[in-house]
Parts: sequence; structure tokens; C-alpha cells
Amino acid sequence: MSRRFSPTPYLFLAPALVLTALFVFYPFFRVIYLGFTEYDIITDPKWVGLGNFVKMFGEDNFYISLKNSLLYLIVTPIIIVLAVSLALVVNRNLVGISFFRALYYIPVITGSIAVGTMWRWMFASDGLVNSTMLSLGLATEAVDYTYHEWLTLPVCMLLTVWTGVGYYMVVFVAGLQSISNEVYEAALIDGCNNFQKHWYISLPGLRPVITFVAIISSSAAIKVFNEIYVVTGDRGGLLNSAYTMVFYIYKEAFNLSHFGYASAVAIVLLIITLTLSILNLRISERGQEA
Amino acid sequence: MTMPIQRTRKLEPVFWYVLLIVAAIFTVLPFVWLLSTSIKSPNEPIATTPPRFIPLEPTLENYVKVWNYLPIWRYFLNSVFVSVCVVVGTLVITSLAAYPLAKMRFKGRDIIFYSLLATLLVPSELTLIPSYVMMVRTFELKNNFLSLILPNIAGAFDIFLLRQAMRGVPDDLLEAARIDGASEVRIWWQVILPVVRPALATVSIFSLVGAWNAFLWPSLMLTERNMWTLTVGLARLSGLFFSDFRALCAGTVITILPILLFFSIMQRNFVGGLAGAVKG
Repeated sequence: MSRRFSPTPYLFLAPALVLTALFVFYPFFRVIYLGFTEYDIITDPKWVGLGNFVKMFGEDNFYISLKNSLLYLIVTPIIIVLAVSLALVVNRNLVGISFFRALYYIPVITGSIAVGTMWRWMFASDGLVNSTMLSLGLATEAVDYTYHEWLTLPVCMLLTVWTGVGYYMVVFVAGLQSISNEVYEAALIDGCNNFQKHWYISLPGLRPVITFVAIISSSAAIKVFNEIYVVTGDRGGLLNSAYTMVFYIYKEAFNLSHFGYASAVAIVLLIITLTLSILNLRISERGQEA
Repeated sequence: MTMPIQRTRKLEPVFWYVLLIVAAIFTVLPFVWLLSTSIKSPNEPIATTPPRFIPLEPTLENYVKVWNYLPIWRYFLNSVFVSVCVVVGTLVITSLAAYPLAKMRFKGRDIIFYSLLATLLVPSELTLIPSYVMMVRTFELKNNFLSLILPNIAGAFDIFLLRQAMRGVPDDLLEAARIDGASEVRIWWQVILPVVRPALATVSIFSLVGAWNAFLWPSLMLTERNMWTLTVGLARLSGLFFSDFRALCAGTVITILPILLFFSIMQRNFVGGLAGAVKG
């Protein structure tokens, strides 16, 4: 099949490659350079070597952000458990099941900003959560969850879970539907009960999809921004207690004009993200060998 | 022994419906509360113990207030314009790129494919700063919708999805078209694209939801009030109406209504399209 050189394939690829080079590759190398400079956008970047990193490791806000971003990974297993369970339920042949399936998808399409605005007020001191808790006698006084030492981050996580479950549920439903019916029928003949059926067939069958979801949702979790921004109303929680890495980058760059320093924080986050992806792939490879 | 088993068989659907309804309540309750607060009059407290979901004197004045204060209609059109451009741009550019990657042999194909895939490891949040500087200083596209469109129409994941789908198109079909003298562009348009239509639907839905809900980048690029998209407008609105929660709720309802309508019309294709994507 060796033919003479033809420019056709490259012409087809050209627009995508130009855009990718411009908006992914160039900024990628540029951010690594900027991380070693002092830069305020107006004057040219000034090389400071490791200065930004030295400064970073002395900053409380950096440690808060790092800790919170890593803590945020808790949402991944929660989302997976809820989404798989929900997928097993909505994958049954029940009357009106497609209605429920669509219903659970609604938080996904309304988006984190619109939902988050609502969330912020549900958890405010005069919001739905407080009034419910008070009326049920579960609390004695109102708490402002959006501006609290340690409760703000869990409220953001709850929002991430609430908007995410529907999306991953659909992904798992698709995965379940690709498991062949014959396997289930054979299991039925062998006298498997419902629980055994899912434990021995559905879950192993879903394994590749679970890996896919783990990678996607954990890399989304580590760079969470919208939820923090909208729930805390751009404040980042009481004494910055709800700062995450991307929120920190955003604050340093666009509120304080520390573009060089923020780039250095971005480099750290980049390293964490890459490590996480590699780890995820390794774990899934080992799982497949077993 | 037979009796209990039969009883559980009969009770089983009831159990599933209870579960479905509990999950549904958790999903819908915040929206119900949102809607109910948006039609509460200023005389009625928002938070009561116990919470009340049906307002005593429902009113539309909050909607009127938001409508008069913010050009919501304008924001809506801005969002529609940007989203449509992103979807159309994505469909054209990613399907053009996917075709040679799936169906042609040429030098550097694997390198190009894997370097495109590698971009998935670098989320746009991390390259925010240089992208911002480039957009504002080099291209001078601040407050120009191109700044929202151009970086978002060559998604590597979309190229990957379409390449997978195109690999399934039989080679005989392409060879037959080539023998008939069809150009590669024509093959792309008339042979490949019709076959991969489900994958194209999935790609457009993904990019539509992404563009419609984008916030961080648009909020950095759009500083002029008239240029805001709905998400940016809504986030700003929550700053403006900090004390007026009823108006804020009305604004939120206006923001989510269009995409909810779109979803309820497209619902069947939506879940089906996603299912196809994961299988493919």
C-alpha cells in the first residue's frame, strides 16, 4: 500500500492541528516558562529561577489549596458508588423508567453555575437546609454553611456529587447494555439471585467503564473551580478555608496580578494531575491482568 | 419455601419504585424550592420553620425586576450564538481531522494521533494564564466572541470519538467511491459523515452542554456587560442581588429554562447518543 506523497491527510488535519498548537501546546510550554518568572502582564516577564516555588512552600494558602484539592478526590468513589447503583436500578425494565432516567440527568444539564447559585442559598443561614434542620429539631441554631471553617468544602462536594451522578449514571447504563444478555440468562439458569447476578456479572463487566469514570471524575475533582466560586461567592470560604488549587491560581493571577507565581502553582497542579492519570492507568492495567 | 419467594417477586417492583422516587425527590427538591422562592412576594419570608413550598401570595414581580434590571434576553442570545458556533465549528473541524486518522495511511499518523490524545492530560485550567495573555495581548480578542469559540472547537476527545466511529465504515465503500472518481472531501461529506451520524450527535451534545455552561474562561474574556453570556450574567447577578434572593431565584429560573426545554425535546436522542459513544 505504499503510495507517493499526498498532502491530502495533512490538509484534513491542518485546522485541528493549528488550533491545538495555538491553544494547548503553546500555552503548555509557556506556562512552564512563566512559572520561573515574575510577571504582571504589563511589563515583560523577569526570570526569578526557583523563587516562586520557594515562596509557594512558605504560603499557608498554598497548603490549604493543596489539601482541599486532594480532599476533593473523595467525591470520585462516592460518585461511582451512587452512579453504579442508580444505573443498576434504571437499567431494569420498569414502567416509566425512561422518565426517571431523564429526571436524574437534569442537574447535569443545568450546570454548576446555575445549580450552584441555588445551592449557595439553600445552605445560607436563612436557607432551606437550615429551616428544615431547625423544624426537625436536628439543629438548635442556624449555620451559614457557605462561610464556615470546615463545612463549606463538603457543601461544594455535595454539589459536585449532585450534578455529577446523573452524568456518570448514563455512562454506566451504556456499559451495562453492552454486557451480553446470554451471560445473564446462563446465570439465571444456574440459579443466581439478583444480588449474585450483579456482583458476579455486572460489576466485573463494568470494570473498564469504572476505570474510565475514575480517571475523568478524579481529574475533574482535582481542578474544581466553579463550585467553590459560586458557593462561596468568590470569597473562598471563611479565612480562605475553601480554597482549591485552581481557585488559588485564579485569585493570585486575576485578582492580584501575580501571573508568574500563579503559573508556578499551575506547574505543581500539572504534576499532580499527570501523576494521578498514570496511577489510574496503572491500577486498571493491574486489574486487567488479575 | 415457594411462598416467600413468590411474595418477594411481587414486592420487588415496589421496592425499586420506592428507591426511584426517593432519588427523584433528592433531584427535584432544590428545583421546586427555587421555583417557589422565585414567585414569593417580598412580604413572605423565604425561610420558614417548617419550610413552605407553596407561596401564600404567588407573584411574578421578581421576574419583572430581573428582566428590567439585566438584559437577560441579550445574554440568552449571546449564549445561543456562542454555543451554536462552537457546536458547528467542532463538528466540522473534528470530523475533518478524524477522517485521515481513521482511514488513511500517511507519515506521522500515529505521532499526530497520540500527541492529540496527550492534550487530554493537560486541562485548560492549567494553561489559563498564557492563554489569557495570548488572547488579550496578541490577538486582542477580549470582548470578542471568537475568544470563546476558537479554543473550543478542536477537542481531542471529540476527534477520538469520531475516529473510533469512522474506523467502523467499511473500506470497500470508500474504494468504490474512489473508483467512481470522488474527491476525498466528497467522500468525507457524502460517505463518511452520514454513516457516523450517531457519533456526530453525541459530539454536538457534549460540546453544546460544555459551551452553554462554560464559566471561568468566558468570565475572563467578557468584561463588557452587553457581551456576557447567561452563566456570566447569572454569576454577576448573584453579586448584584446579594440581598434580594427572590430576584436571584427568578434569574436562575430564566437561565435554566431554555436548556431544560431543549433537553426535554432532545431527551430520547441524548441518552441514546451517549450510550452509543461509550459502546463505540
